[in-house]
Amino acid sequence: MIKKLLIVDDEAEICEFLKSFFEDRDFKVATAHNGIAALEQVERFQPDVVLLDIQMPGMDGLQTLKKMKDTHPKLKVIMVTAVETQEKIEEAMRLGADNYITKPLSLEYLEKDVQDKIDSLAKIS
Amino acid sequence: MRTPKTLLKKSLVALVLFFLGALAAYFLPLLVPASGASAWVHHPLLPIFVMTLIFVVAHKAIERLIKKLLEKYFFHKKTYAQMTLMDLAGDLAVNLDLQEIANLVVNTFGEVLHLKTVALLVPDPLQNNFEVASAYGWRISASKKIRLAVDTPLLKMIHQTGPHILMRGPVLQSLSWQEANALACDLDALQAGWVIPLFVKGELEGILAFGALVPDTVFDQSDFHFFREFAAVIGPCLHNALVVKRLRQLNFELQDSQSQWVQKTKLNAIEKLAAGIAHEIHNPLAIISGKAQVLLMQKGPKQLEPNVQEALNTIVKQTRRAADITRKLLLYSQGSRGPQEWVSLEKVLDETLALLAYQASLDKIEITRNLDPELPRYHANIQEIREIFLNLLLNAVEAVGSEGKIVVEMKYLREEGLLEITCSDTGKGIPADHLDKVFNPFYTTRHEAVGLGLFVTQQITHRYGGSIRVESQVGIGSLFTLQLPCSPETARSGEAEKRVVEGVSGRGGQ
Repeated sequence: MIKKLLIVDDEAEICEFLKSFFEDRDFKVATAHNGIAALEQVERFQPDVVLLDIQMPGMDGLQTLKKMKDTHPKLKVIMVTAVETQEKIEEAMRLGADNYITKPLSLEYLEKDVQDKIDSLAKIS
Repeated sequence: MRTPKTLLKKSLVALVLFFLGALAAYFLPLLVPASGASAWVHHPLLPIFVMTLIFVVAHKAIERLIKKLLEKYFFHKKTYAQMTLMDLAGDLAVNLDLQEIANLVVNTFGEVLHLKTVALLVPDPLQNNFEVASAYGWRISASKKIRLAVDTPLLKMIHQTGPHILMRGPVLQSLSWQEANALACDLDALQAGWVIPLFVKGELEGILAFGALVPDTVFDQSDFHFFREFAAVIGPCLHNALVVKRLRQLNFELQDSQSQWVQKTKLNAIEKLAAGIAHEIHNPLAIISGKAQVLLMQKGPKQLEPNVQEALNTIVKQTRRAADITRKLLLYSQGSRGPQEWVSLEKVLDETLALLAYQASLDKIEITRNLDPELPRYHANIQEIREIFLNLLLNAVEAVGSEGKIVVEMKYLREEGLLEITCSDTGKGIPADHLDKVFNPFYTTRHEAVGLGLFVTQQITHRYGGSIRVESQVGIGSLFTLQLPCSPETARSGEAEKRVVEGVSGRGGQ
């Protein structure tokens, strides 16, 4: 089974770095640098899991999350935050985010969490 | 009472009568025409007869006159009292302390006029009522309870009648029975038979209410004249003292709001800075840390040398630390509050002490806790309370270094409605010129520390409407005193709500 991951971050370096990390682990990875591009990629690329940065110019992570969950309720979304307030994190969880992790990322934890999400999807289907 | 005063009075009366009699006896013959026809004029018993006559007729009148004169010039209590009070008024004019003035006025007034009770009420602009500044013949606790709102019958009456002295009897008689009843309640509360309003430039600056020891005491016209004069003198003194008090209060408030404003501006700047830094720095940190982690996760033939592995681990750890600093700073400057619950302070303190116990035992630091047995539960965010204890204790441990004592005390000050947490240490102390800086962000004396602990503690304390202060002596130690307001809404007795605190869970993921 092909594991598909979409990485959304306004910082290109982060996208590239995470892309190579997950590609090394047999993921198929797409990237997007803003909310609108992310929504397009969700349609085109049909990812299993999305890594979504909260703080982005234009449409921010929370708005993007809401739209994604509206159209694709089964999509697993992990929020990536730099420094968010408790309220923002709680709002993300309320909007249906499946988890959140803070930067700098612990890759070990991130890999395990993404894998868990994929496994849970596999179980359902 | 056979006092010298009575004796003097009697002898004076006798003397005057004798003098008058002798005068009459001497002049009587001269008044009668000197023709020899009236030989009775020279009768030896005539002077005695005239003198007796005058004694009988004039005795009462003379006695009254003598008494009046005597009392006026030597023994008149009221006159004497009035002189003392006018002296007092002179003393008051140079005094600007409201409390001292009030004490002097009521005590002297009460003692000199032999009154049962005297109370001086002054306006409290904040509460919009009159409170007792000082009282004579009252229990302090009872007098402190008296407060006259501006719409009470007595104050309405005073504003109607102006600076006239109110006498209980006549005033009550002049009113309808409902009004009289209401006013009597106010007068009873003050135990007052007379009320002197103290007006200064049309403003009511004080009320002197007093009651006499003897129920049917009557003051006469001259007394009232004196009361008015007295009021005219102490009124301005009181006015000045009140103005000074208000000025001091305003000055204090101004300083307070100014320092709050400075603090707020500082915080805003920190928040902006921290938010910017956090976003800009966390991304590079994520990449640095990520790349190091990727190298560390390599397996198989490309296994790394131990020293390279160690270096990479350090990179990961230090980037995490750098990120924590900006995160912490941002969260506290934003004043974000987590969920609130009923917290057992004792439990949180014990958890914190458990964290530090190992380090403390290594450094030979003895930590004692001293808790109020009836400590209430406190409505707060448990993380923040934890942060307070941790920062205070970490700070104390660092200050002591090795071998020393730390004492943590928690008290519930019921009367003040405050929870007081004190943490004292026998550490190196803080120099006097650094005392006002210890709560500044990034203030630290240790190279490896960030200097946010006490800043964060102060921020949390302020957020709960509390205060924190520090006293310290170099070489002896420091004492941090933290007070949190603890109203019935924020405090609960330990009995209630036992279950609430048990299930504390944090959410987060890495």
